[in-house]
Amino acid sequence: MSAVLAAPHLLAADISVGEHVQRTFLGLTFNVDTIWYTGVAMVLVLGFGMLLRARVTSGVPGKGQLLWEMVVGAVRTQVEGSIGERGVAVVPLAVALFFFILFANWLSVLGIGSKYEPVAPPTADINLTLALAIVVIVPVHWASVRARGAGGYAKHYFKPYPVLFPVNAIEEVAKPITLALRLFGNLLSGGLMLALIAALGAWTIAHVPVGNIADLIVTPVWKLFDLLIGAIQAFIFALLTILYFDTAMSDGH
Amino acid sequence: MSDPALDNAIKLAGAMVGGGLLMGGGAVGAAVGDGLAGSQTIAGVARQPESQGRLFTIMFLTVGLVEAMYFINLAFTALFVFSLYKK
Repeated sequence: MSAVLAAPHLLAADISVGEHVQRTFLGLTFNVDTIWYTGVAMVLVLGFGMLLRARVTSGVPGKGQLLWEMVVGAVRTQVEGSIGERGVAVVPLAVALFFFILFANWLSVLGIGSKYEPVAPPTADINLTLALAIVVIVPVHWASVRARGAGGYAKHYFKPYPVLFPVNAIEEVAKPITLALRLFGNLLSGGLMLALIAALGAWTIAHVPVGNIADLIVTPVWKLFDLLIGAIQAFIFALLTILYFDTAMSDGH
Repeated sequence: MSDPALDNAIKLAGAMVGGGLLMGGGAVGAAVGDGLAGSQTIAGVARQPESQGRLFTIMFLTVGLVEAMYFINLAFTALFVFSLYKK
């Protein structure tokens, strides 16, 4: 009985959340590992794109070309359905964001937990997701100003009723924050779960390493689920980008 | 009377309890939201089986948005618990 009660003591002091390799430069601190893995994801996206560009064919397409055409086609359909012809510049932004976030999220499959990760998903760092949110929100506001004029942009905060101005303002602030936190939270929890499952390894019932076996079985299952969640979050980020552009440029109200 | 050990203990306890509340509320909300999305998908597919592909896409989109609230809560819990535990 006491052996069963020697439950997996959570090595909470070992599981580090939000620790990154840091370097300071000109008085600012940089999370160098996030920057490196952002570079890796960037190289993957650019390499994939350029490889397809070299191999693009109007005959029978290969699988990579099929995937790319599917994504671009879906994004273009969505943009034309919501924004219309003016939104042609949103398509490359959405496609690039989707593939970049997809590859960055899928880098998580190469690690096994926070202390042991050789490659960590860079989107598990709030700095990267906030930067991506800024990359989306600043053009959204800019497109809104261009579509409505400066006066129209200021007035749209007071529609449909002027008393709703605080609600509109909070919504505009909440958009980039939730955009960033959603992606960050999903990826952080994925890595954290992997660390927790690895911490299970200390569990033994009467010298039978039950924890290690459970760790071996559950880790791939969780990693598959994490891949799925990474793909869903990339899709949601791209879709919300398109939708934010739509609401910013629409003449609905 | 400022006993730093007691202060730390109170801070840690508060952080843990707050984190637990965040997790509990977030889990309930996410579960109910996912359940509603799933139930409507099942009803839609039952009504019109050929729309299964489109409905699945929308369901995953909704699930992603609903679970975002839970994961935002989780990020704040990790902030409370781990950054206070280190101190």
